[in-house]
Amino acid sequence: MDVGYPERAEAFRAEVRAFLAANLPPGWRGLGALAPGERRDFERAWRATLAEHNLLAVSWPAEYGGAGLSDIEQVVRSEEFERAGAPTGTENDGFGIGLLGNTLLVAGTEEQKRYFLPRILSGEHVWCQGYSEPDAGSDLAGVRTRAILDGEEWLINGQKIWTSAGATANWIFVIARTDPDVPKHRGLTFLLIPIDQPGVEVRPIRNAAGYDLFCEVFFTDARTPAGHVVGGVNSGWSTAMTLLGFERGAEVTTDPIRYRRDLDRLLELARERGRDAEPRIRDELAWCYARVEIMRYRGYRGLTRFLAGARPGADGAISKLIWSEYFQRYTELAMEILGLDALAPPGAGNGGALKVADAGTENSARCWAEEFLHARAGTIYAGSSQIQRTVIGEQLLGLPREPRMDGGPFRDIGKPAAAPALGG
Amino acid sequence: MFFDYSAEQQDFRDSLRKLVADRAPLSAVRARLGDAHDPDLWRTVCDEMALLTLAVPERDGGAGFSLEETAIAVAELGRGLAPVPVFEAVLAIEAILRTGTEAQRQELLPSLLSGERIAVAAVAGPDGAGAAAVAASAAGDSHTLTGSLPHVLRGHVADLLVIPALAQDGPGLFVAERAAPGVTVSSPGSSFDLTRPVCAVTLDAAPAVRLGDGAGPDLDGLLDVGRTLLAAEMTAAAEACLDAAVEYAKRRVQFNRAIGSFQAIKHGCAQLAVEIDAARAAADWAAMLAAAGDPGLRTAALIAKAQAADTFTACAGWNIQVHGGIGFTWEHDAHLYLRRAKADEALFGSTARHRALLADRAGL
Repeated sequence: MDVGYPERAEAFRAEVRAFLAANLPPGWRGLGALAPGERRDFERAWRATLAEHNLLAVSWPAEYGGAGLSDIEQVVRSEEFERAGAPTGTENDGFGIGLLGNTLLVAGTEEQKRYFLPRILSGEHVWCQGYSEPDAGSDLAGVRTRAILDGEEWLINGQKIWTSAGATANWIFVIARTDPDVPKHRGLTFLLIPIDQPGVEVRPIRNAAGYDLFCEVFFTDARTPAGHVVGGVNSGWSTAMTLLGFERGAEVTTDPIRYRRDLDRLLELARERGRDAEPRIRDELAWCYARVEIMRYRGYRGLTRFLAGARPGADGAISKLIWSEYFQRYTELAMEILGLDALAPPGAGNGGALKVADAGTENSARCWAEEFLHARAGTIYAGSSQIQRTVIGEQLLGLPREPRMDGGPFRDIGKPAAAPALGG
Repeated sequence: MFFDYSAEQQDFRDSLRKLVADRAPLSAVRARLGDAHDPDLWRTVCDEMALLTLAVPERDGGAGFSLEETAIAVAELGRGLAPVPVFEAVLAIEAILRTGTEAQRQELLPSLLSGERIAVAAVAGPDGAGAAAVAASAAGDSHTLTGSLPHVLRGHVADLLVIPALAQDGPGLFVAERAAPGVTVSSPGSSFDLTRPVCAVTLDAAPAVRLGDGAGPDLDGLLDVGRTLLAAEMTAAAEACLDAAVEYAKRRVQFNRAIGSFQAIKHGCAQLAVEIDAARAAADWAAMLAAAGDPGLRTAALIAKAQAADTFTACAGWNIQVHGGIGFTWEHDAHLYLRRAKADEALFGSTARHRALLADRAGL
């Protein structure tokens, strides 16, 4: 076994490092060190610099505006940016480039690729994700948002929720019900819908940590052209799953870098407060160190398999459980180390970072308290821990499925079944 | 970029897994509870499979592979609780390789690599200072050892014992003949782990040869190799436990359903599959560093052993739980794995001790 990267990847790494050294502001410590006002300006200017240097979508073909390199260069770019604490784009880019763009590359028509991909990169189209609904969370295939073809356009009615970065987006990709007369997975269509129209309303939701990070999106006779379907009418489930494959595959080598950075902050916190020699705290810190190392080993293995052509599957469910449960465990440890100081925590917050605080963020009690709160979301979004365990149990271990209560046409689900015969 | 088993390593693993399934199914393992030694299987793994030679350089009569392959071998034998002292012998051979002079290696290794004679390493505690339990006195060119070692793995099948002991000038590694005067090895009668018994070894002015030419041996490094191999064994044995639980959960019907369709059972199995995946990554990483002689093994071996111990004990316990009453019978194999899990967990220091050592070595 040999975990060295190929020569061309290392050559590209050197280029990325040179780019970062030349383009990050002098004395750069990370996004978290910027004041809230500076931050927005920096992010805007930085994204333009990345677009200009072809660093937003390294593995996309050049004909669609990418750098035309391969997956390993994309990975190397993300690793080096993470090490430097430099963003690889905006939060919306995670949806536009990371999820939708990659999905279009494998499931979109030629026309869709030529139209949408360059606009994603230029920043003209800013994307968010319309999957969950108030009555369809873990049961994603149970979405009720209805789309009906009306001449040359889809007419959309319904509601999406937990839409991250919805407030800054101008396009949303949506799973909508287009045929309620067939079983639930078969009547779904993956639609691309512009947000700037009268029929779409986006309202922020304040999260438990006090930040407006996600939104609910209401569709009232909203419209989108008939051709804005990815993967075929009533074949949206397959497209939706393809997209989730990208969601669960992307972070395997950057997560260990990010969590190591946060572990170093936690160690510093424990030392500052003289708690690092306490046997229980030390045992827990050592467990955390081991977990981050294991994430790193798994990252190399995941990358090895990814480069060999394998796609994550149940392996992605394992990765998600490992990071999200680790996130809760070490932020709980931070709260324990803080003790009473967590009751009225001073200092700057975590800036609403959904995962690890950005590099350069003040190592304050308030930051840890807010990170602790945000860690509760990690085991819910992108497939709850319970859903991940069901995926592992059924797909990896081959355990039998539970008896289903939601077969048959979607419109009949939940209606009373025929009454059982009396008397038995 | 490659962190996975190579095709050759997978073939090797598969052929060994088949050999263990054919030659040492659990029914055969159970037939040997007590001495837990199958001389025919020992000859096969030494002669046909040459398992003891894998990590030995060709100049020392070995096959010139690496500790990666050794870890695979120890894992596959551990998966089936196979009744052969491969782990113990490999560790003894590793001690001789690392510490012995050229002449000592030439003298000792040939009969050990062929399996004609069995050496076991008398190490079980958390640090090299198992040394403190045995004192070495110089007697001309040779030494005598006095002291007692209460937990020598498979000591009853040993022809040679590799023993850490404290000489006047510091700790050393010594080789004693089991048949030498002053050496007493107890029978493995009351071992908790029925498939890997321990014996008490008592040394009373027993003649012994000091390995090396004076420099202090790297006992910590030797223990880290032991931890690495044990992590491989424990991970494979944990997989065996989870496999058994999953197979049973697919077949066992209650409430007119296979119990594996209930989330209470399914999610319990899934959570252990996550920990096994983590243990596998850590064990493979440690084996890779051990094979490369990379100093990163100082932390990686501790991570691997601690993760594997937590995982194996959890899987062995869960296997009994999923099986219900039948899992708590003497006739069922589940307790054999639970016994191995707890014994392995205690070797080279508890899991808490591993994490304390990790905190020190990683500079936390």
